[in-house]
Amino acid sequence: MLTDRIEMIRQNYVNAKPEISCQRAKIWTDSHKETEGLPVCIRRARAFYDCCDRLEVHIFPGELVVGAIGEFRKCGILTPEFSWMWVDREMDTFATRPQDPYLMTDEQRDFVRKEIFPYWKGKSLEEAFLARLPEDTRRIGVDTGILDNDSKWRQAVGEITPDYQDVLFKKGFGGIIREAEEHIAGLDAVNPEDLEKKDFYQSILWTSQGIIRYANRYADRAEEMAAAETDPVRAQELRVIAANCRRVPEHPPESFYEAIQFLWFVQVGGILSENPLSLNPGRFDQYMDPYYEADLAKGAVTQDFAQELIEALWLKYSEWVWTISANTADYFAGYNQFQNLTVGGKKRDGKDGTNPVTFMALKATEEVKTHQPGLSVRVHADCPREFLDGVTHLVSTGTGFPAIHSDSVGYQMLLNAGYEPEDARDWNNCGCVVPHFRKTGEWTAAVNMNFGSALEYALNGGISLMTGELMGLEEKPAAQFATFDEVLAAFYRQFDNLCRHSIILTVEAQRLHKEMVPRPFLSSCIEHCMESGKDLSQGGAKYNIGPVITGIGLAVVANSLAAVKKLVFEDQVCTMETLVQALRANWVGYEDLQQQAKACPKYGNDDDYVDDIAIQIANHFYREIHQYRDIFGSPFLTAFMGISNYIPMGRVLGATPDGRCHGEPSSEGVSPFVGTDTSTPLAAMRSTAKLNQEVHSGGTLLNLRLNPELVATKRGQANLGAMVQTLFSLGAFHVQFNCISSDTLRDAQAHPENYKDLLVRVAGYSTQFVNLSRSMQDAIITRTEHSY
Amino acid sequence: MGGYIMQIQHFSVNDGEGIRTNLFLAGCPLRCPWCANPEGQTLCNPMTRWAETEEILQEVRRQAIFYRFSGGGVTFTGGEATAQPEFLAELADTLYDEGYSLALESCGWFDFHRLRPTLEKMDLIFLDLKHPDPEEHRRLTGQDNGLILENMEKTARLGIPLVVRIPVILGINGTDDVLAKAFALIRKKAPGASLELLPYHRFGEEKYKELGLPLPDPAFGIPTREQMARWEDQAKAMGISVVSYR
Repeated sequence: MLTDRIEMIRQNYVNAKPEISCQRAKIWTDSHKETEGLPVCIRRARAFYDCCDRLEVHIFPGELVVGAIGEFRKCGILTPEFSWMWVDREMDTFATRPQDPYLMTDEQRDFVRKEIFPYWKGKSLEEAFLARLPEDTRRIGVDTGILDNDSKWRQAVGEITPDYQDVLFKKGFGGIIREAEEHIAGLDAVNPEDLEKKDFYQSILWTSQGIIRYANRYADRAEEMAAAETDPVRAQELRVIAANCRRVPEHPPESFYEAIQFLWFVQVGGILSENPLSLNPGRFDQYMDPYYEADLAKGAVTQDFAQELIEALWLKYSEWVWTISANTADYFAGYNQFQNLTVGGKKRDGKDGTNPVTFMALKATEEVKTHQPGLSVRVHADCPREFLDGVTHLVSTGTGFPAIHSDSVGYQMLLNAGYEPEDARDWNNCGCVVPHFRKTGEWTAAVNMNFGSALEYALNGGISLMTGELMGLEEKPAAQFATFDEVLAAFYRQFDNLCRHSIILTVEAQRLHKEMVPRPFLSSCIEHCMESGKDLSQGGAKYNIGPVITGIGLAVVANSLAAVKKLVFEDQVCTMETLVQALRANWVGYEDLQQQAKACPKYGNDDDYVDDIAIQIANHFYREIHQYRDIFGSPFLTAFMGISNYIPMGRVLGATPDGRCHGEPSSEGVSPFVGTDTSTPLAAMRSTAKLNQEVHSGGTLLNLRLNPELVATKRGQANLGAMVQTLFSLGAFHVQFNCISSDTLRDAQAHPENYKDLLVRVAGYSTQFVNLSRSMQDAIITRTEHSY
Repeated sequence: MGGYIMQIQHFSVNDGEGIRTNLFLAGCPLRCPWCANPEGQTLCNPMTRWAETEEILQEVRRQAIFYRFSGGGVTFTGGEATAQPEFLAELADTLYDEGYSLALESCGWFDFHRLRPTLEKMDLIFLDLKHPDPEEHRRLTGQDNGLILENMEKTARLGIPLVVRIPVILGINGTDDVLAKAFALIRKKAPGASLELLPYHRFGEEKYKELGLPLPDPAFGIPTREQMARWEDQAKAMGISVVSYR
């Protein structure tokens, strides 16, 4: 049961439109004007401090967990140091764009154009990146939908899991300050390497003092508000809030409530410092349970109040919005910030870690139905029955949560990426479906790579069907391919070329991040950066894991190659020439051939004819990418994860030999192409589990839709649990279910006003259905609904 | 060897425990006018096919991992699962030896003596009771229910979990009176059996069209949820345990 307070905050979350605050951008800019000439890490740390010192303080009605990033309750901020150009170009249509609109006033627009953008002209990360990128890479890698990494130069990296266990809850920022001071005292000013470290530790002093200052300003305000409050109950709440903010995050938390408040302050710090994607709370149940059990034992908290606090935190996670370009919003649709929170799974010592907070987290998501945090669970073969029941029950509520992961495959993925076993066992999720760990610096979503483009160029002389431009390597006409193996070879040649440009895009961006956008606040949350005296962007973490290249369209390409093999070379239904003409004509005039193409074997039905091709491509992808090294010498990694990238990447693709028409969505993660996994979900699961998922350490994603009737009863939910356990025993890493009927979704399209809180699974995350553009909504409705 | 099948349906969850494969074996001695699978009434028709035993076994083995985690297995159904007794025995013997959990759904009209070794390999048996009155049963299905009730009694004595299923159809057996008689018969013939009431549905009508058969009488009525709940309560009041595999 939601409390009235949580319901009131929830209603605002569901109904309010997000607004853009310019405060952070203004303070950040003013600060930079005052710090010209200083080392860049110090400048960024000073700007962070100034934000903490000068941002307006807002405690909103009914709040138990406080800390605002701007003047609005549902709020996004601007980070012009990364990119102001897209904001300048797009902000006039912020309110009207189809995906993820924001409110912004004309006064605000005038203000940023006069006061903020001029300073950053020529200084932003975006401009530097575009200036340095080689022309051939730029042609296929900037706003093309072929290769996409704009979230790495129009945005900050994010993709980090603060270390609550060993750093933040142990030391507090007060402890981090003392540590930095000790390090500084041991440095020698004549040693150039020490000078670099000194800059780093000084940046840590600024950011740590900043976040403490921020918290104390909230304590001051809460005290003032308590004094003026006529309702004695609220006045007492405000006094407790004030006391919390005096203690945390300067000191380690002493209670469950303080720990919750600490979590949000870290989130605020991350947001103000870089507006990050996927700043993950990590293994919430593991580090929160000791506080809960201790408070419960001494009567300092009740179960109900602890539940209310968790729900208040869930709403805080959901009220800030990630301000992103229309292009990025296509790839990460639904105001999603990817704050991934993981519960369940084994502990560092290998024992099961399920505890009371695990269940409270599941309950909170069921009750508040917020799209944040991204709730992930780790399921292992011997996990408690009640836990698996809780997971499948949450699935049955139709929120698309939780993302269900295999404990052991996640462990294996981390081992393969070079982690020590104990750390690998302690993995949490990052972003959507990336197995991650809190002592890590990693770009978990470095580039999205369009597999379909490689096939298109192979069959079309290197030329894009949509634009008629030469985008791939030159290739002989497809009619001259005498065997299927020749087709495959041509595909891989184009494919490897896209891999190569993906690497170039990433390494250029990495070099610039190192130079331009160090991350002192988040570095202070990672243990090893403090020991090494190096920022995250300089490779300061214990693990510097190679960037992840995400493959999009595995199913489309496997299906297409299977169709080429069958129609042209085996059954000889048509010539290569005819097939290519049909694709150029978008199947118009070739409808019979299109039907035959659609009838060819499709990935997702446990049919080795096509599944073998998918396996071969996935293995090739891993081998090709894994041979490259990033700026820290770490091998690049692969992933088949989700996000909404399969929509824009389908938009730039012409018709494909599997029968798909031009512009239609591609396929996501390791999921089958929509509507083609017509056998049973068991067959779909089997197909996806044939891929060697554990080598793709950047994560793999499988989305399935289930008829809600299947999980309406406890018995149905138990069977779903068994299906999940089976899938994981076959070697798959992740699965997530949408359990909302097509009828409900169509009704929600027609009457969005009745469905404002309807959460659906997009890909790797859930978001409010009504916040998706029409094309995204259609794509979700088309996804095959499995019933029985 | 082999036999005639209608369908091999994986991911079945309503005919026994867990995730199962339903083997729909063709042929049936009864001719129920409401039948949901009319293609199962004869061995050979455009919607059935001959399948080799080995082919079926291989398909089933591929699903084993799903049974293992869910407590599922294989359910023989139809048509009438026992209409091709040698085919059934061949499948059941092999799957039993390989350790699969097995269930059988039958209309109850079979040669008990001949079928007994197969029945004894089942973990769960479903037997139908369409109507308690022998004459009415004959009028509706072409056979009276004497053999069916006798088999129910004998099967119950095997000590294998037994579920009696009644398809509840308004205008056929969906009255308090008829069902009370049916419940009393179950109490008498199979005192340890559970009961599952299945509401009539019309999902089979497409099959009638495909086979060129006249559609079932539109007068056959679908009971309401409330009616079903009331009759379930009535059975419980008579001391019968009511189950649902929904």
